[in-house]
Amino acid sequence: MAQFTLPANSKIGRGRQFKAEGAKRKRTFSVYRFDPDSGDNPRMDSYEVDLDRCGPMVLDALIKIKNEIDPTLTFRRSCREGICGSCAMNIDGVNTLACTRAIDEVKGDVKVYPLPHTRVVKDLVPDLTGFYAQYASIQPWLQTRTPAPPDRERLQSKEDQQKIDEPSACILCACCSTSCPSYWWNGDRYLGPAILLQAYRWLVDTRDEATGERLDHLEDPFRLYRCHTIMNCTSACPKGLNPAKAIAETKKMLLERRH
Amino acid sequence: MSSDYEFIDHTYDVVVVGAGGAGLRATLGLAEAGLETACITKVFPTRSHTVAAQGGISAALGNMGEDDWRWHMYDTVKGSDWLGDQDAIEYMCKEAPAAVIELEHYGVPFSRTEDGRIYQRPFGGMSTHFGKGTAQRTCAAADRTGHAMLHTLYQQSLRRDATFFIEYFAIDLIMDDEGVCRGVVALDLAEGKLHRYRAQSVILATGGYGRAYFSCTSAHTCTGDGNAMVLRAGLPLQDMEFVQFHPTGIYGAGCLITEGVRGEGGFLTNSDNERFMERYAPNAKDLASRDVVSRSMTIEIREGRGIGEHNDHLHLNLQHLGADVIEERLPGIAETAKIFAGVDVTREPIPVLPTVHYNMGGIPTNYHGEVITRDGGGDRVVQGLMAAGEAACVSVHGANRLGSNSLLDLVVFGRAVGQRCRDTLTAGAKQPALPAGAGQQSVERLDKLRNASGGRSTAEIRLDMQKCMQEHAAVFRTGDLLEEGLDKLRGIHASFADVSVADRSLIWNTDLVETLELENLLDQAMATICNAEHRKESRGAQAREDYPDRDDQEWMKHILTWVDNGRVRFDYRPVQLDTLTDDVEAIPPKQRVY
Amino acid sequence: MSRRTPLGAVLGLGSAKEGVGHWWAQRLTAVALLPLGLWFVFSVAILAGTESSDYLSVVDWVSAPFNAVMLILFIGTLAYHSMLGVQVVIEDYVHGWLKVFSLVLQKFAHIAVAAAAIYSVLSIALGN
Repeated sequence: MAQFTLPANSKIGRGRQFKAEGAKRKRTFSVYRFDPDSGDNPRMDSYEVDLDRCGPMVLDALIKIKNEIDPTLTFRRSCREGICGSCAMNIDGVNTLACTRAIDEVKGDVKVYPLPHTRVVKDLVPDLTGFYAQYASIQPWLQTRTPAPPDRERLQSKEDQQKIDEPSACILCACCSTSCPSYWWNGDRYLGPAILLQAYRWLVDTRDEATGERLDHLEDPFRLYRCHTIMNCTSACPKGLNPAKAIAETKKMLLERRH
Repeated sequence: MSSDYEFIDHTYDVVVVGAGGAGLRATLGLAEAGLETACITKVFPTRSHTVAAQGGISAALGNMGEDDWRWHMYDTVKGSDWLGDQDAIEYMCKEAPAAVIELEHYGVPFSRTEDGRIYQRPFGGMSTHFGKGTAQRTCAAADRTGHAMLHTLYQQSLRRDATFFIEYFAIDLIMDDEGVCRGVVALDLAEGKLHRYRAQSVILATGGYGRAYFSCTSAHTCTGDGNAMVLRAGLPLQDMEFVQFHPTGIYGAGCLITEGVRGEGGFLTNSDNERFMERYAPNAKDLASRDVVSRSMTIEIREGRGIGEHNDHLHLNLQHLGADVIEERLPGIAETAKIFAGVDVTREPIPVLPTVHYNMGGIPTNYHGEVITRDGGGDRVVQGLMAAGEAACVSVHGANRLGSNSLLDLVVFGRAVGQRCRDTLTAGAKQPALPAGAGQQSVERLDKLRNASGGRSTAEIRLDMQKCMQEHAAVFRTGDLLEEGLDKLRGIHASFADVSVADRSLIWNTDLVETLELENLLDQAMATICNAEHRKESRGAQAREDYPDRDDQEWMKHILTWVDNGRVRFDYRPVQLDTLTDDVEAIPPKQRVY
Repeated sequence: MSRRTPLGAVLGLGSAKEGVGHWWAQRLTAVALLPLGLWFVFSVAILAGTESSDYLSVVDWVSAPFNAVMLILFIGTLAYHSMLGVQVVIEDYVHGWLKVFSLVLQKFAHIAVAAAAIYSVLSIALGN
């Protein structure tokens, strides 16, 4: 059956407390910690952070904690401006990017967990290997049979370009997929919203000539039809994209080719 | 040595280090050429910093008005303040249209013109008719061109089934006694195992080292690891004093606001609400090249016309462009300004400040991407080692890079190294065994740092370095300021011996990785500040107040810098003033006015 | 631990090239159930509301040809719709051998219940 409770070795315990003495404006960050070397169950460490000496984003606080309190705290980060997709995590119950999530937007203690329903490698670092493999499985590259013009670009109208403009802005952060209950229960076979949005990006690219094959590949009770329009994906997307709509459009295309 | 570290050995024809624009372009070209290729990257490819490039990629396609690659070349040479090598610049500008069209054929979702061609926007320093008109040369995918390109290049690598080692941190080059590069050592972050790669050729595409400074547009991962590997291999870096300050980093956060904003008609104002760039660059105004704009802004702030409580920043205005244009061409900027400056760009200006953005300097290469060193007064190609992208100094950017020339640099030279390997290497050729003890030094360094228990944390030392660089090697420099900075930096460099690492694990030990990165940054910071002190002239991004003029007699030359345990040694290479072919005439030095 | 590559695992047995039929049928039956369901609820309400609502009046009601046909349509559509829905629920939450078993079982159960119900309507309508 689907797992509705945490397995014994994933039960989270109470961790260490770090106080910020003398700070006027402080906030407690409660952060999920898992040390793969120790074999211990995960724990929640809590760190008080002086907000007067910290940047505005949750990532700023995590970096401050790592720099000044506990260098063993482990998380991915890179661009810190919401375009690389590294620091996706669950903050205050919502999957988002730590670098664009303002601390002020969170009420009370800031609870930080890794992306839900992923295998945790260490602390806030999830294993996304399967997610990336799913991305590769949809053959996310331009496929054509008509040779490209030798000395100029393929033409595309402005309107047609606008169809791929938004879906191609996905940063593969996996916030949407790991917020989807369907992906939680069947993530091994359901492609999930992020990957389906990318599949859609190629379905609607007027330059692409493999639409039929792409639809063949997607038409599957698990790969596509595990989507039950729960819409968590669209509300989670930190870039304001709409994977749910892309999936609905894909289903419409599949129907259209039968009638 | 404890058995914690056993090497897992690999043999490939070519190993690429780095999976940004240049690394991926090289990887897919090599895979296409039938060479067994591995690409080692410390972050998943689409997280590389190319993803953050916004404005576009330059190429004289002429989709939106007349254009010629020779004009592009002229602009680039002028932009470089005549420190760029004209053979390489000719190669890049001539190859640019084909390189961009190839990207489109790969599937990059470029914005389009009314007739379906690639959309091009004006950018700083880009002109027609050798400086007379304004060129629309920068090909754009809205304001996320780097994102579009990087994702597309990764997709193409997937298509060619290239082999990736993702979240592997490259530590050192493996050099043999003859000075030939034979491979590379890397740490698998997830498993904590050391890998030793043997290859006919190693290509470094590891990007810049913006994180040597306190405030930069660069990602946390921009630590110039390849540059530092080269220094540790006893090879020099070139032109390290040239650090580009982007005029429009968001005040406070440092996030990039593309030059494309000014390309689309945005402009800068000071506290008098004056478009001050009209005074500094009467023709190009806000679209003068970046060094010029950054200096002008710094002067405005210094002279008390800065904005805000501390009069320490300026305003970038784009309200007048209208919501429609902003939504179509600059949607990412609107979002970034909202998040990081709390500004609605359709109503208010963005607070901005010149911010460290790009390193013109790096690993010296020829236009094939082969790494160069200096021996007995002449250039020598380092066998088995190549470099491309921001890590490399070809040098196409000279003393100052033009906006949208870096994405071009990535693909043109990423492609060039692939072609060079295809032409010079044999797939599957038998490789001699690695030298005895190969990689042992890396193990020792790694083990020492992993168990380091000194008195100073990585973050403390890093902050000291960043503050020192920000204070002493910024937009304007003087001999005194630099010497003082150099003194400080020597102390900071030495204090690394007292570093402490708290995380002893080998699994995803980011504390250790940040320490290795810091060690890399320190050597590059040293090279940067030493070069800046050494070059007694003002040229491009190097603005010496004690030497305000360009001195072509003495200083029209590249500085090569070796850093060995904090000790610095210089040599020089002449600037290549001749073109590659007869298709274009060399552009003789003259005064640079915008 | 499996040594299968992540891509191999994802590609698995390939696409079933099926699912749009199921998805469409579920939506079609949902649409059909709207008028059918409304008709049924109204009819039962009216029946329950009339003073002479005893066993015989219900038999009379079912025997009317229009009502009988509507009832059969309603039962068939409802059972089919439910079968599709329960299938999805099982696919979502049940894994391994139990999944196949419960899928088959629910299919049988739905068909059996539908057959019994339709038989009942017919036997009343045709007056046995």
